Amino acid sequence: MIHTTIEKIKSYKNGFSINTKHKLIGWFFVIPGALLIFSFYFYPIIRAFILSLQGGVGNNLRFAGLFNYKRLLQDGLFKQSMFNVFIYLILQVPIMLSLALILAGILNDRTLKFRSFFRTAIFVPCATSLVSYAIIFRSMFALDGFINTILMNLNILAEPINWLGGPWTARLLIVIGLTWRWTGYNMIFYLAGLQNIDPAIYEAAKIDGASAFDRLTKITIPILKPIILLTTIMSTNGTLQIFDETQNLTSGGPANATLSVSQYIYRLSFEYVPRFGYAAAIAFVVFIIVAVLSFMQLKVGDER
Amino acid sequence: MRKEKIFRASKYLFLISISFLSLFPLLWMFIAATNKSVDVLAGTLFPGTNLVENFKTLTANTNLYRAMWNSFKYAAVTTLASLLVSSLAGYGFEIYHDRGKDFLMNILLLSMMVPFAVIMVPLYMLFGNLGLLNTTAGFALPTVSTAFLIFLFRQSSRNFPHEVIEASRLDGLTEVGIFFRMFIPIMRSTYAAAAVITFMNAWNNYLWPLIIMQKESARTMPLLISNLTAGYTIDYGVLMLAVGISILPTLIIFLALQKNFAEGVTGSAK
Amino acid sequence: MKKKLTVLFLMLMMLAGFSTLSFAQENATITVWCWDPNFNIYAMEKAADIYKDINPNVTVDVQEVAWEDIQTRLSTSLSANQTKDLPDIVLMQDNALIKNVSSFPDAFYDLSDSGINFDKFADFKVELTTVDGRNYGVPFDNGAAINAMRVDVLEEAGYTIDDFTDITWKEFIEKGSKVREKTGKPLLSAIAGESDLLMVMLQSTGNWLFDSNGEPYITENEALKEVIRVYQELLKKKILVEVNDWDQYISSFQSGTVAGTMNGAWIIGSIVPVEEQAGDWRITNIPRFGSIEGATNYSSQGGSSWMVMASSKNPELAADFLNQTFAGSKELYETILPSSGALATYLPAGDSEVYNEPHPYFGGQKIYSDITDFASRVPRVKYGIYNYEARDAVSTAITQIMQGQNIMDALNEAQSTVEFQMW
Repeated sequence: MIHTTIEKIKSYKNGFSINTKHKLIGWFFVIPGALLIFSFYFYPIIRAFILSLQGGVGNNLRFAGLFNYKRLLQDGLFKQSMFNVFIYLILQVPIMLSLALILAGILNDRTLKFRSFFRTAIFVPCATSLVSYAIIFRSMFALDGFINTILMNLNILAEPINWLGGPWTARLLIVIGLTWRWTGYNMIFYLAGLQNIDPAIYEAAKIDGASAFDRLTKITIPILKPIILLTTIMSTNGTLQIFDETQNLTSGGPANATLSVSQYIYRLSFEYVPRFGYAAAIAFVVFIIVAVLSFMQLKVGDER
Repeated sequence: MRKEKIFRASKYLFLISISFLSLFPLLWMFIAATNKSVDVLAGTLFPGTNLVENFKTLTANTNLYRAMWNSFKYAAVTTLASLLVSSLAGYGFEIYHDRGKDFLMNILLLSMMVPFAVIMVPLYMLFGNLGLLNTTAGFALPTVSTAFLIFLFRQSSRNFPHEVIEASRLDGLTEVGIFFRMFIPIMRSTYAAAAVITFMNAWNNYLWPLIIMQKESARTMPLLISNLTAGYTIDYGVLMLAVGISILPTLIIFLALQKNFAEGVTGSAK
Repeated sequence: MKKKLTVLFLMLMMLAGFSTLSFAQENATITVWCWDPNFNIYAMEKAADIYKDINPNVTVDVQEVAWEDIQTRLSTSLSANQTKDLPDIVLMQDNALIKNVSSFPDAFYDLSDSGINFDKFADFKVELTTVDGRNYGVPFDNGAAINAMRVDVLEEAGYTIDDFTDITWKEFIEKGSKVREKTGKPLLSAIAGESDLLMVMLQSTGNWLFDSNGEPYITENEALKEVIRVYQELLKKKILVEVNDWDQYISSFQSGTVAGTMNGAWIIGSIVPVEEQAGDWRITNIPRFGSIEGATNYSSQGGSSWMVMASSKNPELAADFLNQTFAGSKELYETILPSSGALATYLPAGDSEVYNEPHPYFGGQKIYSDITDFASRVPRVKYGIYNYEARDAVSTAITQIMQGQNIMDALNEAQSTVEFQMW
């Protein structure tokens, strides 16, 4: 029953064809957007690439070839920050997206009471200002903070943990912070995507005796696949460029254990002796890595 | 049936605990806004009596209303413009897709992947040469068309029933007509989600307004809040009040639009 | 007739000429970027009032911009060579001054020959605002280090503030241990992973992270090693506690968990809002390192100075404004002190009556003249171009040392990190 419905959805898509005239009209739809992106992203990117081939300080720059790129291979802080963001990526993106998907699945149930309240509550973190949430997070995870008190009262811990003081606990904190803030954000896209699914499919599946888990894996995920791909690329990209969380929750500490690449770029541009060329070179390496990852994800996820 | 009941109960328990974790910092913030700075730092969890005082300090030291209006104006312009441009493009990329457009889409996606800090200086030079410093257009233009939104609309269009297009063509609607009269109403849920996200991002945007809007009269809320944290002595009560006020518009827009992207508008498409 | 017309024409010309002249003067506006409405902005506005009497044609437009935001805008605009929107005067953190001047050599106006008398400012501040023998900043905000203590807590252990004045760190640790024992309270708190307190201690010895040639001076720096040793001992004996961030740091002494703090004089602004503790606080100088030659009881932390931008339409006018106010008006400092506590490094202000007023919160202590006195004794050091890099590297090293790494290994790593970043 489920399968036949999905087949039906697929079949009318495949049967749809467009002719040359429509292809031409299509270009008029995409050109304004594309032109704006070319002018305000690609043009500056090319300028930034040229910048990455320049050495020197402040506005006193001169051509240096690939020197910046060679240098970053020896840069301990660059390597450390790269390592950190990959840890965030591997731990955080799968956790957050699964959680968002599960929540969207639950909240899409029309028989659920207080849906609108739960939805709003889960969305609130990404609208909440980082200033206030950083203060609360740090005080909750302080040595004599709420989290340690609870864990010790429950006898899970014998000694309080210095969360912000250890490299791995601090990284864990960043992962928790990221998940806390962005799960609701991703959930919105899933909820919006789910509105395009006929509730009759779920009813039919329920009558057929499909479990909640089956409904998630057999109906929700396949239909949401295009959106899941979108959020995966977006989160990969966002995590590798993470700045706000590491800056506000841990300031990159302890001993650079949570320093992110964007934070390092920021320091090179605005805190340290400004070397925009070198900062641009680092950004380009990140750019290439993110691009490769995204295209791998596209290859796997974007078949029609 | 017993199993079903336990399942339902655990579902509510799960949602309630997640909601609590999500709402706690917000609640704390509003409580903090009613307290004196010293009490905020002492970790009070009870509403205080200093709200009016904090508000007076805030409006005396900053131009709160102008910053709210500026932020609102820029965010609203950005949201409307980018929804139009990006959804047009996303629709075009999916509905009329061919190899050329798929390729172009992939190229555009690359634009998402460069840290903003790097294109900031070249972009600033470009806008300086175009004479767009300190203008609303200068604020909005870099985010009017974003690969992310185009991609969102392209992916969502994949669920747009193509028979609607065929039927509309038979009815004599032009291609542009189909977009405005059919696509936009049917895809209301995606538009609502995109509007919330775009508005929020524009509202919270920090780095770009910081450099493009250097005139004091163009100051936005995030910059006002940044100033409140910059003193040698930070007044946390006032700070939390400002932060609380600044998230209200996003919350209001979320509440106003959430029915659209979460309750579905079935019937129109089916 | 023709002659008359010519005369009339000439007169009109002259009139037009005069009117444009006076028009230009009326229009002169000096724009200033600075932060903190209770402190810098307030001081700048009062300076504008004073200058209004001297040169009524000039308006001063004070705009509030946070320090990080000033730095971001300066770096972006200067490297893009678009200086049109930059102000005439900026307030600059002393920590960043040399870096900015040497990274953007033509961006800041040289004040050496502007008529400003730099001898009237505390020595250490002038040193921090001088690059290659040229003066680039008018010293303002006093970052002289103070040791602020709760005398009611000291009393429980049988001490007064005098027992903590002009002492060495060895004595401080002895007495601090006793206070800790008797009252359970530490005397100091510091933010983990940040080097502020350590740098206060280091500067008091007259040393810095760079030697006189501007080379990184970390591995061989005996003073730095002694500073780290004392810091560790303070932590071990629980005279010093580490907290996670600025809010917790402020809260640690506001709530009374910690019985004192050591920082730049501006920290007073965060001490006085706690009404219940009025009368309990005193300030004194910081301990010195007995074992280091030339070490003093004085240091500084986090001051700032006024700079004139070279891109200003009227750099001479901006310099004159600073000269007549911040560098020449005792009256200005007398006006701003009482309501803002804005302490200057302008030495003549120290003799004024206002500076000798007893402060009720500090039990009638004449704290302002004390601090001005401290400021005049702070050792001169050069923060150096790579100041931020070095401070970050040393902070990292200290965190590693606290986590149990060998001191020499950690310092070696810091030294090579800084060397790597200087290219």
